[in-house]
Amino acid sequence: MGTATGIIRALNSGIKHIATKRFTLRYPEEKLKFVGDGYQFDPSTGVGIAGLKGRHMLFHDHCTGCQLCSIACEGVAEAIAMVKVPEEQKQNKKSIMPQIDYGKCVFCGLCVDACPFYALYMTNDYELSSFSKEGLIYTPAQLQVKPYVAQDSEIQISDRGATHG
Amino acid sequence: MTFTLPPGLALKKVDERIMTLNVGPQHPGSGHMRIIVQIDGDYIVACDPDPGYVHRGEEKMAEYRNYITNIPHLERPVIHDSCNVLYPYVLGAEELLGIEVPERAKYVRVIASELNRCIYIMYWLAIYGIFLGHSTMFMWPAGDRELLIDLMEKMTGARVTHAHFVPGGVRNDLPPNFEDVCLRQVNYFEKRIKEYAAVFYDNPILISRTKDTGILSRQDAIRYGTTGSVLRASGVDYDLRVKEPYDVYDELDVHTNVMKEGDSYARSRVPWLDMMESCNIIRQALQKMPKSGSVRVKLKPNPKTKGLESVYKRVESGRGSLGCYIVSDAKPEPYRVKMSVPSFRNLIALPNLLRGEKLGNMPSVYWSLNYWPVEADR
Repeated sequence: MGTATGIIRALNSGIKHIATKRFTLRYPEEKLKFVGDGYQFDPSTGVGIAGLKGRHMLFHDHCTGCQLCSIACEGVAEAIAMVKVPEEQKQNKKSIMPQIDYGKCVFCGLCVDACPFYALYMTNDYELSSFSKEGLIYTPAQLQVKPYVAQDSEIQISDRGATHG
Repeated sequence: MTFTLPPGLALKKVDERIMTLNVGPQHPGSGHMRIIVQIDGDYIVACDPDPGYVHRGEEKMAEYRNYITNIPHLERPVIHDSCNVLYPYVLGAEELLGIEVPERAKYVRVIASELNRCIYIMYWLAIYGIFLGHSTMFMWPAGDRELLIDLMEKMTGARVTHAHFVPGGVRNDLPPNFEDVCLRQVNYFEKRIKEYAAVFYDNPILISRTKDTGILSRQDAIRYGTTGSVLRASGVDYDLRVKEPYDVYDELDVHTNVMKEGDSYARSRVPWLDMMESCNIIRQALQKMPKSGSVRVKLKPNPKTKGLESVYKRVESGRGSLGCYIVSDAKPEPYRVKMSVPSFRNLIALPNLLRGEKLGNMPSVYWSLNYWPVEADR
């Protein structure tokens, strides 16, 4: 193959893509859809349920204050600290619950695996930016709130190429 | 009055012809490492790679964490290839802890590891393109890589640094309907990477810049101990997936891509062919995988090994053979973890490859060695 033919072929292969659809996602307006409600741990099988490892969610009525999530995080990020909560729970005698610092968390989800009472889950919420360091520290009360996520874009493949529909 | 400077501060006479040039450590053409190049005009006379700027002490850190909490930090050296970096450690820990992994988990691991290999090679290819000034080849792989990152995200819940493999299997089962989505996106991905031939690999401009530069002969490739695509581009048929199959690679049909030239062009083409082979392996694994079953053996919270014993396991990563040597002494933490990484072994060939080359060819020869600074420094 001659040099000129090769260059024309290379250009041609690029020009063909003018007609194809745009692949990129317009992020703040469109958001990618994830499977499930986030990474969770299935008590019946002993393995996790697939999902995005995003911001945690804490179920106050399940948490016993056993500190296993904090111990699991010790060698990883040291993001979890146990803090006193004002409310009283029947199963939580010490009234301590995890508080997570997202400035340190690496989103590995080992705390979810460690929780023997299935009180800690991960959700699809990944937009955690804040103007201050303190804003990244989520108290047990903040972790209780289920995030609102509107994510509906999926990769769609057609003859004209792939898009985020 | 005369005085003499101490030997370290003595002014050196500048040679008239030879000039020393520091490429890096903060340079887009080197990554986090320095290449000290001696140039005579436009030609490289000698070169001395100087790694070590991103040393993180991963091996020492591993001695203070137990077998499970070691996982998130041991996959950090190569975040694009995190499953493969973790693979030998997990295989070794399983042997030390005496765990038999379920069949379905082995297939899930093979799929994850092959997807990760493609993700790594696409990123590598994007950088290789921009090193040669080919900006289309930067944008296309960076975009098409998204198809596979999306699959990994569905599978593991994280785009990079998945923390998915654990001693005893994988963290979570595949999401529902994953097989169809995976097959569709991998097929489209393969169709896309075949288009790279016209725009990049058969492009006469690329061929003229990379053919016959930085030739590594077959003997030298073996003598230096290079691995992976560098070794295969020099005509040595060596792939651990075939030679020492781990998990379920012995049940899959793996073809090794070998090129004889040993130049920069061959070293850039072999990973591209490997990606197509990875697509084949993923399709086979999806077909042969048991449709249901357990993916993880339940472990005690702090598993301990039996006594003083050691194990060495290695896998074929995106860059070559990656080994992990673990010594245990009946404690929850390993006594010693040593990683034998392909990047460091491939770098040894660099001074020999660059001697006599033009300075302009340096980035393409350097990056064709499949070198990842963070992995080499650990």
